[in-house]
Amino acid sequence: MSEVSEVSAVNDRIDVAEGAFGALRTQLREAATAFADGPDALEGILLGIVDDVDRAVREPLEIFPVCHHSPASALAMARRLREKQPKVVYLELCEDMAPLLSELRNCRLPVAVQAFATEVAGFPADWAPLSVVAPITEASAEYQAIAYALDTPGVELVLVDRSSDHVFQWQPRESSADEPADPDAPPAEEEAALHGDAVGVEIGDLRPRFAELEEHLLRHGRVRHWSEWWHQYVELPLGDSDHDTYRQVMLLIGSLFRRLAPGDPHRVRVDEDRERYMWTRMRQHLAATGVDPADCLYVCGAFHAASRVAEFGVHGADTFEISPPSGSTWQHGLIPSSHASIEAQFGLAAGSVSIAAAEWAKNLKRTRVRPFRLTGQAGTKKAATPERTAAPAAPAPAAALPDRLSGFLRRPPVLDSLDEAELLGWSVEIVRAARRNGYLASTADAIAVFETSILLAGMRDRAKPTPYDFQDAAITCIEKDTVPGRRDVRRLVEIMMGGDRIGQVGYDALPPLARDVHDRLAPLNLKLQQRGVRRALLDIAGRPELERCSDVLWMLSYLMPRGAARPIMGERRLGERPIQESWDLALGTHQRALIELGYEGVSVEQVLEQRLRRTAHDPRATAATVLQAVEDATLYLRSRRLADELGTRALEVLATERSVDGAPDVLRRVRRLLAYYRTTEPVLPAWIESFVKTGYAHYCTLLPTAFTDEDATVPQVAAMLGFLFSMESLALSLGCDRHQLELALAQSHPEELAKVALLWAAQVHLGRLSRADLRARCDELLRNPLVVPAYPQYLSGFLHALEPVPALTDFVVEAVSKAFAQLPDPVLLPWLPTLISTLRSGGAELAPLLIREAGRIFPGRLAALDAWVPPWRAEREAVRPALSAGGSGGNGGSGGVALLAAHPATCDAVARLLGCDEPWETVAAAPRGVALLERHPETAVALEALLTTP
Amino acid sequence: MSDLLRAPAEIKYAEELDWLESVDDGPKPFAWRLSPKMVRLFVLGSERADGLDREISQKWFGDRSFVERSIVTLASDRGLLLIGDPGTGKSWLAELLAAAICRNSTLVVQGTAGTTEDHIKYSWNVSMVIAKGQSRESMIPSPIMTAMERGAIGRFEELTRSTSDVQDALISILSEKYISVPELDSDNIVFAKPGFSVIATANSRDRGVNDLSSALKRRFNFVRIPVVTNKKAEAEIVRFRTEELLRRHQIELDVPPTLLDVLLRSFADLRASAASAGSDDEKLESALSTAEQIGVLEDAILHSNFFGERALTAHTLASSLVGSLARRAPEDLAILNKYLHGVVEPRSKEEGGSWPEFLEGGRDAIATLS
Repeated sequence: MSEVSEVSAVNDRIDVAEGAFGALRTQLREAATAFADGPDALEGILLGIVDDVDRAVREPLEIFPVCHHSPASALAMARRLREKQPKVVYLELCEDMAPLLSELRNCRLPVAVQAFATEVAGFPADWAPLSVVAPITEASAEYQAIAYALDTPGVELVLVDRSSDHVFQWQPRESSADEPADPDAPPAEEEAALHGDAVGVEIGDLRPRFAELEEHLLRHGRVRHWSEWWHQYVELPLGDSDHDTYRQVMLLIGSLFRRLAPGDPHRVRVDEDRERYMWTRMRQHLAATGVDPADCLYVCGAFHAASRVAEFGVHGADTFEISPPSGSTWQHGLIPSSHASIEAQFGLAAGSVSIAAAEWAKNLKRTRVRPFRLTGQAGTKKAATPERTAAPAAPAPAAALPDRLSGFLRRPPVLDSLDEAELLGWSVEIVRAARRNGYLASTADAIAVFETSILLAGMRDRAKPTPYDFQDAAITCIEKDTVPGRRDVRRLVEIMMGGDRIGQVGYDALPPLARDVHDRLAPLNLKLQQRGVRRALLDIAGRPELERCSDVLWMLSYLMPRGAARPIMGERRLGERPIQESWDLALGTHQRALIELGYEGVSVEQVLEQRLRRTAHDPRATAATVLQAVEDATLYLRSRRLADELGTRALEVLATERSVDGAPDVLRRVRRLLAYYRTTEPVLPAWIESFVKTGYAHYCTLLPTAFTDEDATVPQVAAMLGFLFSMESLALSLGCDRHQLELALAQSHPEELAKVALLWAAQVHLGRLSRADLRARCDELLRNPLVVPAYPQYLSGFLHALEPVPALTDFVVEAVSKAFAQLPDPVLLPWLPTLISTLRSGGAELAPLLIREAGRIFPGRLAALDAWVPPWRAEREAVRPALSAGGSGGNGGSGGVALLAAHPATCDAVARLLGCDEPWETVAAAPRGVALLERHPETAVALEALLTTP
Repeated sequence: MSDLLRAPAEIKYAEELDWLESVDDGPKPFAWRLSPKMVRLFVLGSERADGLDREISQKWFGDRSFVERSIVTLASDRGLLLIGDPGTGKSWLAELLAAAICRNSTLVVQGTAGTTEDHIKYSWNVSMVIAKGQSRESMIPSPIMTAMERGAIGRFEELTRSTSDVQDALISILSEKYISVPELDSDNIVFAKPGFSVIATANSRDRGVNDLSSALKRRFNFVRIPVVTNKKAEAEIVRFRTEELLRRHQIELDVPPTLLDVLLRSFADLRASAASAGSDDEKLESALSTAEQIGVLEDAILHSNFFGERALTAHTLASSLVGSLARRAPEDLAILNKYLHGVVEPRSKEEGGSWPEFLEGGRDAIATLS
């Protein structure tokens, strides 16, 4: 030790001549000579580091280097702020985020400040939406600075880093693809995804830029990951050091990583540009306000503190030009964050942020430093006494710049002494936690964990087990071959060490939309701000005012990710009114999604309208999707205006469509909408009339091609026919011509057998083919052994024909029955699955039709089956004698007349209505035809004339 | 070259162990021959920063924390149970640890369905008993009992293959640390000397066959050894083991790095497909462990050395791969066939290199087998 004091005495003497770090320089120069034989790169690096530290320390504007999630940084910051009481704090954080920081007090930390842009200008379209998040935890230096600056009167907080817009401006265009995911990484947990796919920015990213260095440090530190290394070798030694030591060591580390490993050139350029940006902004602010640089504090990552750009310093060059922002519109807000998502976003080890938070709490207790905290900060206990600003300490004499580096570098790693009580506490607690989670853990395990932790720490050259050693020990002793519950021991230790903390954005800090949603859902009396799923029961019949809540919920379920609002009971369909609904709501869990909705508009209705419009005007939109948007607009917004507007758009889209892929969907939706409008509106909206008219012409035009086109499937063609036939009356009334349809059918010459059957069905519908002919054709097919194997395909066609021509149902039942009766098994059996799958896919509409018809035709009881003759066969048998009897209308006609005679009232009424007042005459039983001939001879005369003409 | 086909670790690395012992100045628990740090160094190899005069090669590849946790367990009073898929190096780690700690890795009980309590405790030399009566002389101690008497590490391979009642014989050994011999009137308790512990291995694929009782579970610390999926580490293991093998067989043969890459990638693909498979029929029966990979390579090397052109080709590698992995006639072959045509074929068109030959070899092998 005497040697050390001697050296420092010498140092002091040299300091006078060569600046504070003269001795260190000499020493390093000697070291470089010894290790690398003479002046070379090593010397350059080593001395360069000292130069960097020296320069930063001499800067008149005090630079305060920090590292993210470092309790030591936070502690040093709190101490320094109390001591120095700066008037201006410059902070390395996107400058456009400034207005939001005062809202932090309404939130439970950690939360993230977010900048969000949906409308992107000047960037590739596929980058949209742009999102930048800057998470803020309580155990961070930046929070200390923010809390100090916002709550101390007369102190200004200036954010100086590039704006969110520049984050993307400086991003390389061509390869925005993320790095491939690490295959060994564990799957991300739900909590880790709170930031979505935003770009993260953080103060004080301090980590070696090349993998080899990091690997080297980890291996020699006998630690598993970077967070542990940092904790062990920087955090602990710096924990109680004074301001100068802290500052110089942090600068040293920043400079070391910078000089050793410049890393990716693009990243270096961005980093340097940021430094230029920050210094330019600071100089601008200093010039504008005239503040003395000595009253300011510049908080930035240690990496940036050791900068060598020309713009560095209060007297740096003013050569950097800040590029103008792109045209994108940025929205800002706070979103909830969590320790896990911070770890996931910034590649930290799982649990490290939680451990840092625990460390921070412990350090506070130990050192009795009073941290800064925003007044009224949500989620913290009220301070017993109001925060009282300490009287500014006497400004430290600025002249002396002591060299703290030499001492720090020469000291062996500080080993935290073994805190036995703490370790015992952990051991007992983890066993209890394990027991609660289904492990068979006992006191013996607590002893074993305690012992193993100490052994492990000893093996890794540590006097005191770190939380990570403890975690390893607990896993070794408690984890067996299976995990009995939901959590394994690793996770239990993480939870015990502080666990994941999930932040929450307070009501007042929410965007208007989110506040509005919460206000409107207030009648439900649920604590929707809290995390977790709440069940909402809406008895709308009993409490009609809840219908408005139901409206909001339906819109949320449409707009938000699955699970945020999920209907359990109740549905929304056109023309129906809700009576009772129940919902599972997890708005607290999905707070980010709700807040991001808030960036799109001020109310859910507005956002929904925008979304629907966007869907409708999407270049890839089809008539079916636009019609869906129309339906949604009617369902959720009850907006006739928007529905009309979107409907008109559907019309446009339909007219330009050349494929028939969406035909089934279009048919279904138009039918639904027509039914709805017919029941609720006095007249049909103009757009739907035009839609039917245009659709009629459109599908008529496409029909011949669709029949022959191989890509058009049978259900699609069937849907087209369905549209044409079921909308026919409306279309004709609006001025369409039936000839168009008849011509289109005449032009259709399908080759696919199912489509042939479909065509036949259509012809029957139009009356160009009689049912008897159709039956004869089918019978012919069944009789021809060469065609029989193809018969099922015809049947498939007929099945689909039920959609456009439901009147054919009895015939289809007949055809299917005949197939079952007559087809040979090798043909029938392979076809059965096709039949079933066809019925299932189109089943909702087709199957009930078929079943009802079959129920009508087939006998309902077994006994009746013996005597049963299928109607088609009976018909044939009945027709034959009737034909032989010579003429139709024999029996039926006389029956009708008899009935008329028996009940003349109907006939009289009809006659009166038609204006025929002739009295009712009862015809005598005389031969009827002759009497008629006598009364109306004209017919006979005309016939005679016709026959006699040659 | 020793005249043993396969020398146990303490003989194979005897000289290294002697040297380590001579430089070891760390505190040693019980009667350990090396301090825990040196044991770790022996297993994981040395680095320049360790400041040793000679280099110690790495013998087991895997996460450092597994080794540390295992060593620490042995220094505590619990047994160590290494659990993992077949071929992950459990037994090798157990052997290395035993060799480093007590210079004897051969005190092994092999767990099988036929293992009885006698194999764990002791049995009698019947003819001696008839001649001289029951005495310590006529007793045949089990390897575990020998380990207790010497204060050494006893090993129990495939613990879960033996039946539960036999496993439970370990309970009293692990907690009371003695075995009583009720047949003897005097001198009827064998106490364990300090340093005694047990390393057991268990195959996680056997789970449910003979589950450990919770009393026994309590007395073991479980260290789960995962299948190596890190490509770099795996390449290292395969190279290390193959070199050892070539040396043992005195074969002069090059393993081209491209072929090694083909092997590693095909295993990675097969693992990925097994991970996404829905049922057992859709995945290979093999665990696709690193040991399996070494087996495939070994097979290919031997084949090309003795029957081939004395050079390893992709064709041989492929047929060896198919031959080793196709265990069930229709299912495994179908999967390999799917793999060859779905993955290798497009790749051989895109990348070329050894892949086309690999594809050819695979096809031939499948054609022969089916």
